[in-house]
Amino acid sequence: MDMRRHDVSPEDQVRYLRRGDYARVTAADRPGVAQPVPERDVPAQPWGRIMLGAAILFALLLGTWEWHWRAFDVRPAYRNDSGLWAIQRRRIDAGEGNATVVIGSSRSFFDLQLDVWQKLDGERPIQLAFEGTTPLPFLEDLAADPNFTGRLIVGVAPQLFFSGFGFHKDAIAFYHKESPSQRVGQCLSMHLIEPFWAFDDDDYALATVLQRQPWWPERPGKPNSLHVRRLSESGPDRATHLWSKVADDPQYQALARSIWSQHLKPSPDDPPPDKVAKTRDEQIDRVVKAVATLRARGVKVLFVRPPSAGPYLASDDREFPRAQAWDVLLAKTGAPGIYFSDYPELSGFDPPEWSHLKLADARKFTAALHAIVVRDFWKPDPPK
Amino acid sequence: MVFNSLTFAAFFALVLVVHNLPLPWTWRKVNLLLASYLFYSAWNPPFVILLWISTVVDWYAAQGLVKARRESARHAWMLLSVIANLGMLGYFKYGTFLLDNFAALLHAAGIAYQPVPSDIVLPVGISFYTFATLSYTLDVYLRRALPAENFLDYALFVTFFPHLVAGPIMRPTELVPQFEQPRRASADQLRFGLALMTLGLFNKVVLADSFLAPVAEHVYDAQAIPGALDAWAATLAFSGQIFCDFAGYSTTAIGAALCLGFAMPDNFRFPYAAVGFSDFWRRWHITLSSWLRDYLYIPLGGNRHGPHRTYFALMGTMLLGGLWHGANWTFVVWGGLHGAYLAAERVLRSRFGHYRPGPLTLLALGLLTWVLVNVTWVFFRAKTFDKAWIVLRGMAGTNVDTKPILESFYLISVAVIVGGILLAHWFMRARTLEGVVARAHPAAISAVWALLAFAIVAAQGSGAAFIYFQF
Repeated sequence: MDMRRHDVSPEDQVRYLRRGDYARVTAADRPGVAQPVPERDVPAQPWGRIMLGAAILFALLLGTWEWHWRAFDVRPAYRNDSGLWAIQRRRIDAGEGNATVVIGSSRSFFDLQLDVWQKLDGERPIQLAFEGTTPLPFLEDLAADPNFTGRLIVGVAPQLFFSGFGFHKDAIAFYHKESPSQRVGQCLSMHLIEPFWAFDDDDYALATVLQRQPWWPERPGKPNSLHVRRLSESGPDRATHLWSKVADDPQYQALARSIWSQHLKPSPDDPPPDKVAKTRDEQIDRVVKAVATLRARGVKVLFVRPPSAGPYLASDDREFPRAQAWDVLLAKTGAPGIYFSDYPELSGFDPPEWSHLKLADARKFTAALHAIVVRDFWKPDPPK
Repeated sequence: MVFNSLTFAAFFALVLVVHNLPLPWTWRKVNLLLASYLFYSAWNPPFVILLWISTVVDWYAAQGLVKARRESARHAWMLLSVIANLGMLGYFKYGTFLLDNFAALLHAAGIAYQPVPSDIVLPVGISFYTFATLSYTLDVYLRRALPAENFLDYALFVTFFPHLVAGPIMRPTELVPQFEQPRRASADQLRFGLALMTLGLFNKVVLADSFLAPVAEHVYDAQAIPGALDAWAATLAFSGQIFCDFAGYSTTAIGAALCLGFAMPDNFRFPYAAVGFSDFWRRWHITLSSWLRDYLYIPLGGNRHGPHRTYFALMGTMLLGGLWHGANWTFVVWGGLHGAYLAAERVLRSRFGHYRPGPLTLLALGLLTWVLVNVTWVFFRAKTFDKAWIVLRGMAGTNVDTKPILESFYLISVAVIVGGILLAHWFMRARTLEGVVARAHPAAISAVWALLAFAIVAAQGSGAAFIYFQF
């Protein structure tokens, strides 16, 4: 092939180089000509030995990093991200549209134990709740999906549900637009990485770990905030429970409580009450529409308010009093609901960090909840 | 698929294995071609059709150009290629933008018009591969090169996955000849290629995504009004982020190609050590700036028709170059600012061309260039003009009633990383990476390589797309 490669003389190229202190000729130095085949030199070094040395050192560093986190009681678990959520969401499209689905925030996510429910009910629910996120967008997404005709448990954590806060709202867009490449990556990660490596968790990402070190000075007017630490462990179908370290390690439990405490006291930065009320009413109005659509399709919707305790419960009640939030929600939607304090068997738990139940309690809670649901709301069909 | 993903790691390993099997060269090229289509369709399979259209149109246009006897026929073939490529680019990238501006124009004229909301999805990398295929027909039209003799070689030039979606924007004369003879990387090329990929991914996953992007997001994507420190920190963070993101992509692409035995050109030459803006554009995104120079600036007249025409060509090129980056007026302003900088530099050079700065003055001019480049990044990063003005006012210290936004960790991260980038660029100003590596102790190279690889794994990147994919 006759590609004309040398329209610029070597002298011109040297001149261009000198002008800009450049160490190598590029297209920038050859205006208006066909560009030649680039040359890429490999530095003269013993690359075999270098690569072997790098591989050994890398393995040592990685092994030390993994050992460090295992010594911190971390065990391999599945990453609770949009990819894992999308796998469960797709079950509705793939023939399980009449299943029991759970949406909500972290309390419904950690406190409702799928294996207990499955044992009692014969059916394993699809877990679509997400921590730190209002279930409203997920409710609307299910309402818009004619494939979904089953039963729906909607967890209500007042400060998320009525404020519209959504840490993981992007999961819905991800599910709708997930590329083949992302699906393959998810599959590879779930089979090659996540079941084996404890450090593979957002909470132990390099930047996150560095940021939470105590040595950073405080900037005047912007104190260093404590970000939410790892609280749960998830399985491949998003069956999730509170991490045992939160319940068993007093230091870690105290840390978790201090992190919540940052947000549980009234602050001058809080939005004004009228704005909070407006947002709350807007959220309820959207829920009403979505629930009406679902119920028109025969979906049974049940709201559940899982337990909280201590300063968290006090904050929940102060920010969104039951009479102005929960009661209005049920009245406007016409859907039934279970409020933990109305049932002795759902009350009396002692959440280690005021917001989530330890695994043993979550199992008891799930069994009690299932009994109430079957007894009072979703009665099984009588035998024919 | 993105380079910083497990999918790519598995894909690349498979491609490498097949490429190194004892198969005929044609089969191995077919492997690369199919792998490249797979690489592209892993985002959105239907869009591979656009790639085929672009490939086929330019193949036939170039054939027609060579066979054409009359000049008018040559023009027609060239125009067919330009219209087909720019038409595709215009529809997918600028369709909504043009419609919105048309509606705004009518509204200003008092005519109520509400366009039907469109849901056009931008095909990844369309700006890059349309430019690559255009350079093929334009080089033939300008009689700089003859068309490829082999369709497979040509299709592989368009589609070759290392450069397909975000460059470096390859010219046919740079890549097609490499497909004519069997190629397989030597053991050292493979190892050095892997080292380059590690360096590129470190830039992207660790520096750009993990440390710098959150700082820019805290200020540019939030409602709070920034003071001087926050506005500058976020803008400097973005200047580091966009360099690490894009230079990281280019380095990874060059490394991937080298692992397969192919050479790709440099796309960056330590641009934050530039002294002046013509120097900056000879160091930043070189394959785009040289493309715009060869196929836009020179055809518009370049510097051959007097100063007025030169300034017109300069400004026109930079404005269109800005628009190439995104369908938003903020990008046009970004390009316009660079055009104005280049024009001002040209005026200064014409008056003080004999002036030779000393080392300190050179450093001062370099810092001035860097600061002014940072001002342009505000328009590149801000999604709206309102946001850009807020940040610029912050940088000028004229925002009132501001509260600190960034915690000290973010400020220190920016200072360390961006300061490190600046120092590294000045040290490397007249050097190449290969030259420095050749003089380093092997144990030091091993240690750095291992640390970079460990940092990539420990950073646990989210597989975020490269910034330039959207362009």
